[in-house]
Amino acid sequence: MFSYYVKLAYLSCKRTWGMTLLMVCAIGLGIGASMTTITVNYLMSANPIPHKSEQLFYVQMDSWEPNNTYDDNGDAPTQLTYRDATYLWQAQKAKRQSIQSGMAAVIEPADKEVLPFMVQGRANSADFFPMFDVPFLYGSGWDHQADLKKERVIVINAELNERLFGGKDSTGQTVRMAGEDYKVTGVIDRWNPKPRFYDTSTGSFNDVEDVFVPFSLITEQKFGRSGNTNCWKPTESGFQAFLDSECIWVQLWVELPTAQDKDAYFSFMNAYAKEQHQYGRFARTDNNKLRDVMQWLEYAEVVSDDASMMMAMSLMFLLVCLLNTVGLLLAKFLGKASEIGVRQALGASRNDLFIQHLIESGCIGLAGGLLGLILALLGLEAIKAMYGDWIRDLAQLDFTLVAMAIGLAIVSALLAGLYPTWRACQVQPSVQLKSQ
Amino acid sequence: MLTMNKISKSFITDDVATHALRDIQLHVNEGDFVSVTGPSGSGKTTFLNIAGLLETSSSGEYLLDGEDIAKLNDSGRSRMRNQKIGFIFQSFNLIPDLNLFDNVDVPLRYRGLNTAERRKRIEYHLDQVGLASRMKHLPSQLSGGQQQRVAIARALATSPRFLLADEPTGNLDSQMAQSVMSLLEDINKAGTTILMVTHDPSLAARAKRQIYIKDGHVSELTNKNSNLHVVGEA
Amino acid sequence: MLELVARLELGPMFRALMRNKIGALLIALQIALTLTIMVNAIFMMQERSQQMARASGLDETNTFYLSNTVFAQNYNLKTGLQQDLQRIRQTPGVVDATQINAIPLSGGGWSMGLQTKPGDDIEGTGTAVYMVDEHGINALGVELIAGENFQNSDIGWREEGSTKWPPKTIISQALAEALFEGDWKNALGKTVYIENHQPVQIIGIIKTLQAPWNGWNGVERSMLVPQQLDNKGSRFFIRTEPGRRDELMPLIEKMLAESDRGRIIRNVTSMEQTRDKSYQEHQATNTILLTVIIVLTLITGFGIVGLAMFSINRRTRQIGTRRALGASQWQVMRYFMLENLLISFAGVILGAAGAVGLNIWLVATFSMSPLSPVLLVIGVVALLIVGQLAVSYPALVASKISPATATRGRA
Repeated sequence: MFSYYVKLAYLSCKRTWGMTLLMVCAIGLGIGASMTTITVNYLMSANPIPHKSEQLFYVQMDSWEPNNTYDDNGDAPTQLTYRDATYLWQAQKAKRQSIQSGMAAVIEPADKEVLPFMVQGRANSADFFPMFDVPFLYGSGWDHQADLKKERVIVINAELNERLFGGKDSTGQTVRMAGEDYKVTGVIDRWNPKPRFYDTSTGSFNDVEDVFVPFSLITEQKFGRSGNTNCWKPTESGFQAFLDSECIWVQLWVELPTAQDKDAYFSFMNAYAKEQHQYGRFARTDNNKLRDVMQWLEYAEVVSDDASMMMAMSLMFLLVCLLNTVGLLLAKFLGKASEIGVRQALGASRNDLFIQHLIESGCIGLAGGLLGLILALLGLEAIKAMYGDWIRDLAQLDFTLVAMAIGLAIVSALLAGLYPTWRACQVQPSVQLKSQ
Repeated sequence: MLTMNKISKSFITDDVATHALRDIQLHVNEGDFVSVTGPSGSGKTTFLNIAGLLETSSSGEYLLDGEDIAKLNDSGRSRMRNQKIGFIFQSFNLIPDLNLFDNVDVPLRYRGLNTAERRKRIEYHLDQVGLASRMKHLPSQLSGGQQQRVAIARALATSPRFLLADEPTGNLDSQMAQSVMSLLEDINKAGTTILMVTHDPSLAARAKRQIYIKDGHVSELTNKNSNLHVVGEA
Repeated sequence: MLELVARLELGPMFRALMRNKIGALLIALQIALTLTIMVNAIFMMQERSQQMARASGLDETNTFYLSNTVFAQNYNLKTGLQQDLQRIRQTPGVVDATQINAIPLSGGGWSMGLQTKPGDDIEGTGTAVYMVDEHGINALGVELIAGENFQNSDIGWREEGSTKWPPKTIISQALAEALFEGDWKNALGKTVYIENHQPVQIIGIIKTLQAPWNGWNGVERSMLVPQQLDNKGSRFFIRTEPGRRDELMPLIEKMLAESDRGRIIRNVTSMEQTRDKSYQEHQATNTILLTVIIVLTLITGFGIVGLAMFSINRRTRQIGTRRALGASQWQVMRYFMLENLLISFAGVILGAAGAVGLNIWLVATFSMSPLSPVLLVIGVVALLIVGQLAVSYPALVASKISPATATRGRA
């Protein structure tokens, strides 16, 4: 019976092909627009590290000025001072902790013919790699001792490895950076979490860094820092004064497997704040925060306003398209009143007719959905072209989204078809069977 | 096989009550060929609708093949229509999208028969009306008389207990009308009960029984040669 | 007036519509939703366009900049900088050049707070900071509207990690207004305080110079500071004669790279490119909004055509009868145009309410500003026109229905 109804749907659509085309286009446009914006939003708010996101926490301590909180919501600052971050890190109270900040430096290739070039990097501690499950192509990160001894070790990414070493296993080799030799301990595989959750200070969707070096080398002042620096209090001149200052520029992530671990660490943070309060710092001692990955991403407002706003608009747009479809289906089905009457006379029950026309609506929905998918693909390409490189990985359709598109189209068409179908089946059969 | 006891039908629209049928008493036996005549607005159409289970009566009892129609819901009535009744309409009412084969197929689909069984019946009945060679044609490619023949094939395909025909020759010229009437007579001889509405007295006279409806009341013409009942305007 | 109403058959028309509510309701709802979306979308486009139209204060057509990163050990930063600037300024076609720490509209830079009184607890006004020399104003192309430029003797060196500020500054008019309660002329000669206690005297005021962050509410507030950076990483900002920028960009890059191998020259970018990148998202969103508006209107228009055709189809005999009773073709057409107008009217009233409602929600959720009534009126009129245009074809078809259908039925 189902294939019979599909055949009937096909014939019916063919007869009123103009109206059918209009409906398919309307649904297609609505689905295309909605899926484009839904995809971007969905990927922007995706969990970048689902198997671990509830065990990784970003540490925020409120060391900001006494008279004002860091932002209008009264929240703690987004980064830590060097003093606070270093103290917490050295205490080693969590299962793992990674202290970090951004850096940039010039690399001089071994081949003198090749010009030196600049790389963006991260200065972090040893735990960074196991904490974030960073995949390694060759070798591994360094150990805690290397952090303490300020060893010149470096982890590079696959592209840099390709560029400097032709893609071969370069563990043990040397990279000349910022005028010094660094020993490669490992090469990381393709890894590009979107959003780049571990540091959103300069943009949530930036690419992963080219190099990673121990954070302890920051104090050696061999390379430049990169990232955001905010100071509420004037500082003395000089680098040491800067390190001792209230300027915030350091980040700390901790790994806390259980809820008790989290509570214990939070108490530890607050105890430190109270202690510092006695020295005249930390005007507010209980405004510290420990947010897990998803909470942190939500706080950092990673999903841009524009993206949310356009998703809202697309869904309204879809609604208009559906209203359009309801109207056209109504017109179409009522125009078939005489055929419906004949079928009733020949033995079709109201149920049969209901199902027949619902299936017709569904077929139109399916066609609209397929068109919508094509339009969504085009839409995503347009988005990539218009918004720039960073959105590249956020404008891809995966299997879930494709299924969602088709599902949304069919469900919408069925919903749109409910009223027209019901109306059409209300036709009273009569031997005269003349519509008007 | 068809019995109506005190069947009445009233329509109430905007405070105006129209009594289309009043206390109809009718009994039709298996194999009967009954013609129904009457002036416009006499209730002929309503009578046919009720007989064909397309409408329900306001009061009274309708027994079809022993079943009390009042006890049936919409699905039940649909089932009865599908299994027991064959319809032939004045304006043929073939579905324009479908070819002849698929048109005859429609009631068989609601019967739930398998593909082979349906094909057998369709081919047989189209052959019976002499249109088997044009199975794949669309209704628009046929003349009026041919379309009505297909409609008859469709009506017979489900092997109904009786045929309900509403002005079956109304849209045909006299030659085609004669051939369709002959076909109906043949079908009746083969054992199918027929209830036919017509306003053509010569056609009405070819039936075995004639009943006359006026102002919602039914009366039967017992004397075939009598001109007692003047037939209504066309 | 009443006679007009009677002649136009508005009463019977309305009653007829009420009996066939659903079709009319669907059109009205579509119009309503389209109006809601359209008005707010246009409003958002307007806001963005206004933002994008703001002048940065620079001579954008003729300026570009590049990054200079020193990596060689034992490099004399001060001499190197002076040599570089001299070479650039002497290049034919170059108007002027300066070293600078940040670029307007680039998204990254420095900001500080300025106070009118010294003290730790005083609220400061945030401002962008640009460190330039006495060639800065000429290189940037900004307009000095009061006071004077820096002298060569004012320019000092800023070592890495230093927190000492020079005693003079030139500020933008917007910053002057923010500091001195709207009376910017008052700012000239006054002393303000940076880093809570360090005094700085305002020796000049420039008309416009935007900060690096185009989304910041203080984007018009900036200050020029007479310092050169004693840093391994810095930028050069260069202004050329009209029409010569594109030719000079690669030329200067090559000249600098070859003159000294101990550093890398990179990211040679024009201000026009910077502006485009800075507003890329704005532009993209605008394009999308425009597309949505156009497509939405088309869909609604075609929907009206479809539904009107159907509704007229159902009433063929009725229309034929009217013609048979004496209605002219024009009167039939007019009837349907008017019927559509009634429906559209209901739709735009609903839509206006919706547009305002949606705007309230957008203002609350995305902190936009409320839309202007003028836009609403324009939207209403536009949609009414679209509706009339859409229904004109079906109405024309209706007017052509032959009076013979009264007797014959469907043709």
